[in-house]
Amino acid sequence: MAEILLSEAEKAFIHHGVQDDLRCDGRTRLDYRPIILETGLVSNASGSSRLRLANSDVLVGVKVELASPLPEKPLEGRLEFFVDCSANATPEFEGRGGEDLANEICRFLQMSYMSGDTINLAELSVLAGQQCWVLYVDILILECGGNLYDTVSLAVKSALYTTQIPSIKVATMDGDQPELELSEDPYDTKRLNTQNVPCLVTLMKIGNHYLVDPTPEEECCSSSGVVVAVSGTKKIAAVRKIGSGSLHPESLVSMLKTASEVGAVVNKILMKKLLEEERAGKTQKVGFMR
Amino acid sequence: MDMLTSKIFLRKTKRGKVIKVVREHYLRDDLWCGSDLCKKCNQENSEVLDDAPISSSTLCAYPHYVVVDTNVVLHQIDVLESPAWKNVILLQTVLEETRKRSTNNYKKLKEIMESRKDSFYVFVNEHHKDTYVERKPGESANDRNDRAIRKACSWYQTHLEESQLAKDKKKKVQVILLTQDFKNREQALKEGIPAFKVDEYVKSLKDFPDLQEKLAASHSEDNSENREPLFPEHWAPTRIMTGIKSGKLLQGIFHCSRENFLEGSVSVEGQDKSILLQGHASLNRAVDGDIVAVELLPEDKWTSPSGIVLEDQEDQDPGDQIEKEEALLTNSAKGKDRQPTGKIVGIIRRKWRQYCGILLPSVLAEGTRHLFVPAERKIPKIRIETRQAATLSSQKIIVAIDSWPRTSRYPLGHFVRALGNIGDKDTENEVLLLEHDVPHHSFPETVLACLPSMPWTISQEEVNRREDLRNLDICSVDPPGCTDIDDALHYRELSPNLYEVGVHIADVSHFVRPDTALDKEAANRGTTVYLVDRRIDMVPELLSSNLCSLRPDQERLAFSVIWEVTADAEIKKTRFAKSVIRSRRAFTYAEAQCNIDDPLQQNELAKSLRGLNKLAKIMKKNRMEKGALQLSSPEIRFEVSTETNDPIDVISKPMLDTNSMVEEFMLLANISVADHIFKHFPECAVLRRHPVPPASNFEPFLKAGKTQGFTLDVSSNKSLAASLDAAVKPNNPYMNTMLRILATRCMMQAVYFSSGTVAQADFYHYGLAAPIYTHFTSPIRRYADLLVHRLLAVAVGTDVTYAELLDRKCVQQLCNNLNYRHKMSQYAQRSSVALHTHLFFRHRVQDEDAYVLSVRQNALQVLIPKYGLEGSIYLKEKDDDSKPAFVYNPDEPSQTFGNITIRTFDRIVVQVSLDSKYVQHQKIAVHLVQPQIAGLSVEAIKTVNDSEPIPKKLKSGK
Repeated sequence: MAEILLSEAEKAFIHHGVQDDLRCDGRTRLDYRPIILETGLVSNASGSSRLRLANSDVLVGVKVELASPLPEKPLEGRLEFFVDCSANATPEFEGRGGEDLANEICRFLQMSYMSGDTINLAELSVLAGQQCWVLYVDILILECGGNLYDTVSLAVKSALYTTQIPSIKVATMDGDQPELELSEDPYDTKRLNTQNVPCLVTLMKIGNHYLVDPTPEEECCSSSGVVVAVSGTKKIAAVRKIGSGSLHPESLVSMLKTASEVGAVVNKILMKKLLEEERAGKTQKVGFMR
Repeated sequence: MDMLTSKIFLRKTKRGKVIKVVREHYLRDDLWCGSDLCKKCNQENSEVLDDAPISSSTLCAYPHYVVVDTNVVLHQIDVLESPAWKNVILLQTVLEETRKRSTNNYKKLKEIMESRKDSFYVFVNEHHKDTYVERKPGESANDRNDRAIRKACSWYQTHLEESQLAKDKKKKVQVILLTQDFKNREQALKEGIPAFKVDEYVKSLKDFPDLQEKLAASHSEDNSENREPLFPEHWAPTRIMTGIKSGKLLQGIFHCSRENFLEGSVSVEGQDKSILLQGHASLNRAVDGDIVAVELLPEDKWTSPSGIVLEDQEDQDPGDQIEKEEALLTNSAKGKDRQPTGKIVGIIRRKWRQYCGILLPSVLAEGTRHLFVPAERKIPKIRIETRQAATLSSQKIIVAIDSWPRTSRYPLGHFVRALGNIGDKDTENEVLLLEHDVPHHSFPETVLACLPSMPWTISQEEVNRREDLRNLDICSVDPPGCTDIDDALHYRELSPNLYEVGVHIADVSHFVRPDTALDKEAANRGTTVYLVDRRIDMVPELLSSNLCSLRPDQERLAFSVIWEVTADAEIKKTRFAKSVIRSRRAFTYAEAQCNIDDPLQQNELAKSLRGLNKLAKIMKKNRMEKGALQLSSPEIRFEVSTETNDPIDVISKPMLDTNSMVEEFMLLANISVADHIFKHFPECAVLRRHPVPPASNFEPFLKAGKTQGFTLDVSSNKSLAASLDAAVKPNNPYMNTMLRILATRCMMQAVYFSSGTVAQADFYHYGLAAPIYTHFTSPIRRYADLLVHRLLAVAVGTDVTYAELLDRKCVQQLCNNLNYRHKMSQYAQRSSVALHTHLFFRHRVQDEDAYVLSVRQNALQVLIPKYGLEGSIYLKEKDDDSKPAFVYNPDEPSQTFGNITIRTFDRIVVQVSLDSKYVQHQKIAVHLVQPQIAGLSVEAIKTVNDSEPIPKKLKSGK
């Protein structure tokens, strides 16, 4: 991730701020920065969202495609994540520079979605053992302003929420080969239940305290932290430690607890906003013209 | 209002993927209404729509413009042609939907619009910012279009209102909607748009009282595009496999009937009778050649072949509908001649290849979906998508089948490439070579590298290794113009009553060594293919026409079979030797015949020929006594114009004594060689056998004999030969030839095989009545002979063997390919003759004698011996059951009309012409002609077919 050069004095200032629960931008330790979310702005995709968390900017598109299910999971469809770190975000991503980070995010998303409670992949099955939907989730990182994990996870969840899966039925069978029939009505689609899809919450440890939604400067001051995937039911789907420093078991436990609390709230607010947007119906898309 | 929207819809691709398509759709505010009275639009004066429209309709007496609904265009297109229509607004929605639903009507509508520009105004409502409607959730495409139409109507209403505020209410121009759809009318009325039923409106036009006659009977719109599968499903492979194992299903090769596209048969290995299949559902999307799984029907449902000639004659894409087939099939005689009948439940292996053919002329050339008609009659039409139909319509093209879904009437395929213009001889030649899988590319460099360098002479070493027969008076006898002479003969007297006869065959194996590129190419080609105007060589021309060809006065390498025979043609001694020969002369059959017949010719060659001829006659007699068959198939030759290369005349090939003389010695050589190689290589000798045909094969033949009052004995080849000889009718000399032609069709295919794969008892050659037989005498044009040469060379110790030659599996594999190539080359030759017959008849119509080959329920199959041409005369048309004047008697079989009965073998006179109704699809047309019976002929015209251009008249068959 983009490294920022900070002087010792600056670091100390951030440090003290965290200690006093008053961060440089005036937030408390458990405050998020403002989030801007817009869904359905890529008309070619089956579902899409763009999420901007302060200066972190992510665009997510979901494409649905028919494929055969994995032999070990004949009754399930699947999700495939792909993260592209645009060189626009930071010059370091140029060439293959962003690949490591991209893989890291991809892997963690895959891991957190694998956990049983988060998403019901059986919904994606079309014909047991033969055909299923595969959701290709393409994540484009446009700008890096800290707290990338959270930003990405919220964007992905929103995109999945809006994803329209065409309704398809098996019309005829022919020599073991199904003949699939697509509904003629473009509105005849179904949606995934995304209620429990996990949000990622990053907790950074600075001094003896930890904080959510770190800015790049704060990330720079911290030597360790955790990313926790929290499902809608407050359950923890996956955990990952970041940074080179160590964590005491005691603080880890309390961090997980906080993360799950925070995650539940974030989840709830996100779902509420998504619902609100959906209810508002068709509005002029803002896109990147703002 | 946003001026850019997008149309979003989902589409399933050919490969089964679902894709979301997003099309940008721009809306405009500069589309004018087209009315003269409008003061708002920026249009020029004198628009289509009058400012004071006059209509004679009593239904709406006020001035009005008419908007028509899609269903009016679809169902009442004939009404729209009338000049009664003025001030009609055609919406883009209507045009587009019409185009989608019926290309025919779309074309008609376009024509109407073109011819009556002053009456029809097209309003591009889909791009107008105020009339564009977006599809709502839960709304069908149809409902959306209806809504778009209503929206356009009400827009016009308010738009025009603004320009005629001052007008008297009665004089205000209104827009009315004409529709057949009850729901749409209801909805329109509710929205305040005057809407009427089209028939009511038309009836109210008092100036055009005749118009209502054109009204099509209104029927309710069936909007549900419910695509019911047309075919039963294929079983899953595992289910088929278990079915075959348990014996419930049978596996076999599907053959589509040549005469009836709704009929086919499956030949199951090890079963005498093939299984009959009838109807679309039973055929279940099998294509000729596929390996299929068949389920037998219970015995009480068995039928017999319908006996009618049926072609899939759709001239246009009928859509995914299956015509009523009961009528086509019910006629099959129940009761007797029943044959195991089944239905196809699955395809085990598709044998799809690429097919040559043409595009069916389409109504809408710029459309993308077209029907393709393969040249091969047994292959169904194929539906393809192409954007270049206009250019391809005059070309022969190649198409591959991709799939045949249950919901599709025809298989789906794609265009592969174009071959050239239809009717071009080169194109047609290419087509028939491709159709018959004849490798006809020029020989590659690697093959040519195997050829000896020129100038080539026989080295002294080579002469030393061989027997020097250059001193013998050897000559060859071949058809005129033959350049690949592979056999030559000699004859000399050794002592009184002992003669030496030699057959010398070109030693191709000297040049084509095993395992070279040349050898592989030759093995793949298998045989030389002789087309009417072209020869596709098995080996490069240098060998076939020069080094191997036993040209006169040139020293050539040969493989000789030399016998010592007595004057009674009894063979005393046989020997085989590689030799060097020098042929003295290359005779044609006719020249050789002259030499024999002319007593003045007393040179050595003439004497030799006479001696050979004498021996040959004895040998032939002996052979016939053993039961060899003399069969017949019509063979003709084209006289080709030297300049245009087009056929100018047709002659039957004459049979001279010399033909049979050469044949006799070739047979003798083949049999001698077969004996010898089998003795040396019991496991891997390449032999040729002609299986005894199963009794069931003879059925049509026996039936035909019966109609003529002959009892034919087919129990053995000898008895068959005898009964064929006896079946002569003095008043119908051609009848015997016809019988022989029919007998030929009952025969099995002779095949090459490796001696290790078949029991010795089955080596028998039925047609020649020889216990063992092979091909030795034409190595230039047949690869089998080349293999036999190699075997024989090893047997006589002049060459070495190689592994593949002795492996019976390898040999059998080679044989299988040879059999296939051989069969295909025969078909190609036949097609080539057919092609030239077409060219021949391009500019002529001729009356010819013909004979009835078989009598069918709705047709006569006739043979025109002069051209070796077969054709069908339809007595009944498919859809026309008016007056079935001909009475069909399936037992004889015969067709009776009044006191005239036509039976098999009857002589009739027909008129042959080229039916060029479609330039694309020319075919030879055969029509009955009248020499006598004037009173009947007039009636016959009616009964046969009114639309036929050439009057058909009948003549008594007796």
